[in-house]
Amino acid sequence: MKFLLPLSLFIMVASSAIAQSKYFTKAGKITFFSKSSLENIEAVNNKVVSVLDVTTGQIEFAVLMKGFEFERALMQEHFNENYVESDKYPKAIFKGTIENSKGISLTGDNAFTLKVNGSLTMHGVTNLINTTAVITVKSGVVSASCNFNIALEDYKISVPAVVADKINKRLTIAVSIPAYQVMTTK
Amino acid sequence: MVLSKKNIAITAGLIVIIMTGYLYKEYHRQLADITSVQPVAKINVAAIVNLYQNDETKANQQYLNKTIQVKGAITEIINQQDTLINVFIGDTNSVHNVSCLLDKRHFNTIKKYTTGQQITIKGICTGFLLDVELNRCVIVQDNQ
Repeated sequence: MKFLLPLSLFIMVASSAIAQSKYFTKAGKITFFSKSSLENIEAVNNKVVSVLDVTTGQIEFAVLMKGFEFERALMQEHFNENYVESDKYPKAIFKGTIENSKGISLTGDNAFTLKVNGSLTMHGVTNLINTTAVITVKSGVVSASCNFNIALEDYKISVPAVVADKINKRLTIAVSIPAYQVMTTK
Repeated sequence: MVLSKKNIAITAGLIVIIMTGYLYKEYHRQLADITSVQPVAKINVAAIVNLYQNDETKANQQYLNKTIQVKGAITEIINQQDTLINVFIGDTNSVHNVSCLLDKRHFNTIKKYTTGQQITIKGICTGFLLDVELNRCVIVQDNQ
């Protein structure tokens, strides 16, 4: 709730005067991919909650670990039970700041490639993430995307010894927000 | 009776074939359709949202990764070109509702519903962000 309480209040009290620079979505997408000799691992979560404040540059994502869907049930079960322990750590949260966000123009159609610095908390561990995001404004709709890599050991996610040599311990994370909604007063 | 080498070889071969078949089937197993799964709870939107808002840890202990059945009014149906259908049920004036990601095998069942209609949906609870989140959802007929 640490992420969501401010967001809930934000949505409820945001005044129309300031709302135009503040956006949210419940329909973001996060995909992760890992290529390895044993098998490629890929999963998608289509229910990412995100908040973006263009004025301050603050950007946040939250995702439920049990919401990641795999092609095969066995892989999904192993992911939740043996790797990310999603009963114990149900969420992953990213909180960051977009550098030079004041340069984002919300009028006209444009794409802005900007640096994002923040922290990702997953499996009870928080690490710094520095990456590049693309913020796109098209026909008044704001969307965002970014990719970054993480190492499993940085998040204390251990790989069973029997497959340790065959699993790629680095994951590529792809975040995609197809359309932010303007925050309005409820 | 002493087993001959031939019988031992045939038995071992059968065991290997059966094990290989089992492992292949298990490896390629798809997530189960929950149509026939009995829910651990039948609850309305306000009640489950209240539970999560009041004590998320306790609510997760009760419902996380379990099948629950929720009844409420449809506030929004998001259909991304039939690749993904998300049904929100609850109150349009509330920030927190229940978000139901439909099982692809049941996409057609939502097409007769529109916003405002009452619906009963069963799904696997994946937790709480802004909404209580259910995945692999199926629509439950009124008499169930």
